[in-house]
Amino acid sequence: MSFHKIWLILRSEFWRRVRSTAFLLATLLVPVGVVILTAAPAVFGYLAEQTDERTVALVDQTGRLADSLVATGGDRLNFRPTDAPVDSVRGAVRNGRYSGYLLLPASLLEGEGRGTYYSMEGGGLSLRAELSSYVNRVVRRQRLEAAGASGRVLQIMESDVDLSTRKLSEDEGTTSGSSLALTFVGYAMALAIYFAVFIYGNYVMQGVIEEKSNRVVEVVVSSVRPFELLMGKVLGIGAMGLSQMLLWGVLVMGGLAATGPVVALFFNPADLGVAPDASGQAMAEAIGLSVPTIPVGLIVWFILFFLGGFLLYAALFAAVGSAVEQQQDAQSLLLPVMSPLILPILFLVFIIESPNATLSVVTSMIPLFSPILMVLRAAITNVPLWEIATAFVLLVGSFVGTIWLAGRIYRVGILSYGKTPGFREIAKWVTYE
Amino acid sequence: MSHLSVQNVTKRYGDTVAVDDVSFEAEPGRILGLLGPNGAGKTSTIRMITYIMVPDAGTVQYDGHTVGPWSQQRMGYLPEERGLYDRLRVKEQLVYLGTLKGLTRAEASKRAAHWLDRFDATDWADMKTEELSKGMTQKIQFIATLLHDPSLLIFDEPFSGLDPINADLLREIILELRRDDRTILFASHRMEQVEQLCDDICLMAQGDVVLQGPLHEVQEQFGQNTLVLEFDGDDTFIDELEADEKVRVISRSAHRAELGLAADTDARRVLDLALARTDDLFRYEQVVPPLNEIFVEVVGEAEARQMRGATA
Repeated sequence: MSFHKIWLILRSEFWRRVRSTAFLLATLLVPVGVVILTAAPAVFGYLAEQTDERTVALVDQTGRLADSLVATGGDRLNFRPTDAPVDSVRGAVRNGRYSGYLLLPASLLEGEGRGTYYSMEGGGLSLRAELSSYVNRVVRRQRLEAAGASGRVLQIMESDVDLSTRKLSEDEGTTSGSSLALTFVGYAMALAIYFAVFIYGNYVMQGVIEEKSNRVVEVVVSSVRPFELLMGKVLGIGAMGLSQMLLWGVLVMGGLAATGPVVALFFNPADLGVAPDASGQAMAEAIGLSVPTIPVGLIVWFILFFLGGFLLYAALFAAVGSAVEQQQDAQSLLLPVMSPLILPILFLVFIIESPNATLSVVTSMIPLFSPILMVLRAAITNVPLWEIATAFVLLVGSFVGTIWLAGRIYRVGILSYGKTPGFREIAKWVTYE
Repeated sequence: MSHLSVQNVTKRYGDTVAVDDVSFEAEPGRILGLLGPNGAGKTSTIRMITYIMVPDAGTVQYDGHTVGPWSQQRMGYLPEERGLYDRLRVKEQLVYLGTLKGLTRAEASKRAAHWLDRFDATDWADMKTEELSKGMTQKIQFIATLLHDPSLLIFDEPFSGLDPINADLLREIILELRRDDRTILFASHRMEQVEQLCDDICLMAQGDVVLQGPLHEVQEQFGQNTLVLEFDGDDTFIDELEADEKVRVISRSAHRAELGLAADTDARRVLDLALARTDDLFRYEQVVPPLNEIFVEVVGEAEARQMRGATA
């Protein structure tokens, strides 16, 4: 086997694709899209909260809640107590004087009945939650007072308890970034590997089919061994894929890091609940536009498992491509290649819920699944080094195996024209001399 | 100089025997015509010579050693089914294929420029291959075959798709390559091209070599039993001769006929009839049979043998 030849093919396959307009556009536009999609909900969500000021008529039949509700309603929710009959309040809502009216029946204080909010538009989720928390608070306070609770008890009941989650790292005592962000990162990485293996694997298959159907392959294999061609192609497209993903990573991180502070400029620090002299970074975090800190180790494993998974599947995609002359003919042969690639997606939610369950550990070690599942586990929990190392060694062993098998199929397939072969026929090719 | 030797080579695909115990040799400075109908095993044989496949039995040797990656570097192959990378530019394509044959980029680039000039194609250097016409693509692929200065050349139907001018240019270059003492293998169905170019022939049918040797010896083996007539006037005597099974018509036009004599026919009788019936007889010649005739006869026999073998 000539590594020089593999290198020549790799370089040609890589450059041919990287300099194409399609590659440049995809590499630049995808991060722009991701940054916009990430930034937009944060910005719009925040703006919506800011502008959505409501005036709510308060029909208080208990006669004891109105004052405290008016006091608690924040900037966005103005309660206007009214003694007018319900019919006329209803009319006022219809003609737009009020956003809606809140009816609190007298029985509420005895622990029966329910408050009801009436409006023309039904109200959003956040409005419902807000109203419910205000009403809860004042009703509870009234009941506690009625039951003769002391001022201290009232204070305890009203204080909020903050809960945040942190992940313990290997070297005890220190804590790293929030585990929620890492769950998101892990999920994103798992999906990135899935899509990358799928898409770049398809590139490999297309490349093989193209070479075969325009017959250039016969010239090439009169100069290099079919296995060298296969490896050069797989590695060249792998190098392209890795470059593209790293560029995406850098551009998305850079884009978010730049967009956050810029977007934050439009907000008043006081509105965000941060100190008036807070840094751009702190403001960006407050509006949910921050860049999570990803441990270097995780990035290294991500790259290693992506490469392993890509080599494993790309070799199989290439074998399928070599057996057909047109993309459409590949569908039935792709089933055994695609199934194990799609299967781990079904486990994602389970593993996020219980990353250390036996099922999670076992599935994340299986070579066909580990590129997706082990990376996810490595992001959201502390996977013992031996587990991740074993998974990787198994993956390496498997891709050596599949590449060998694919090479046997490929060298016969690229020269076979005519009827699309079945699995039995392809299995026979493996045994040819 | 180095020569190519194919010894007792056999190749099977599953239960099908594509090449069955085939042996032949090709000498430097000569052109060997590899002939045979479709499915005769030519492509499989070529693929074993080019080390694209390895034989199940027997050996292919070049320059005294079994072929392998080393011999691929010294060999140029123009397959029957042409193909290049559509999206590569012409120059880039040639340089890439050249480096795969072991040239440095600089050397490949220099030679590509030389050959593009020779083929009057320098203007295409920066065009994408998919923008070229079929004939242009043919030329580019021919250049790719020669770029690394190979000492063994294999051309499979090199003239197909070329206009007469370019076909002449190609023929000229092939004959130049022969003068440089290269070993050349020429596979074709076009018998007149084979007759024009080849020194030796090797005829395959059903995976076997059924006939081989220097072209003239092979033709003489079949005797001077072919008549060429050129005439003016009534040609119904040919129909009569054919009806009596005295001759076989090989080719016929208004003023020219090539006839194969039946075993018991006296050539003289045809001459007498022609003199008696035509207005004018310009040519009467007794010649060796055209290669096409030999091809049809030998392949027909081989196929008939195969049929008998299959039913027996």
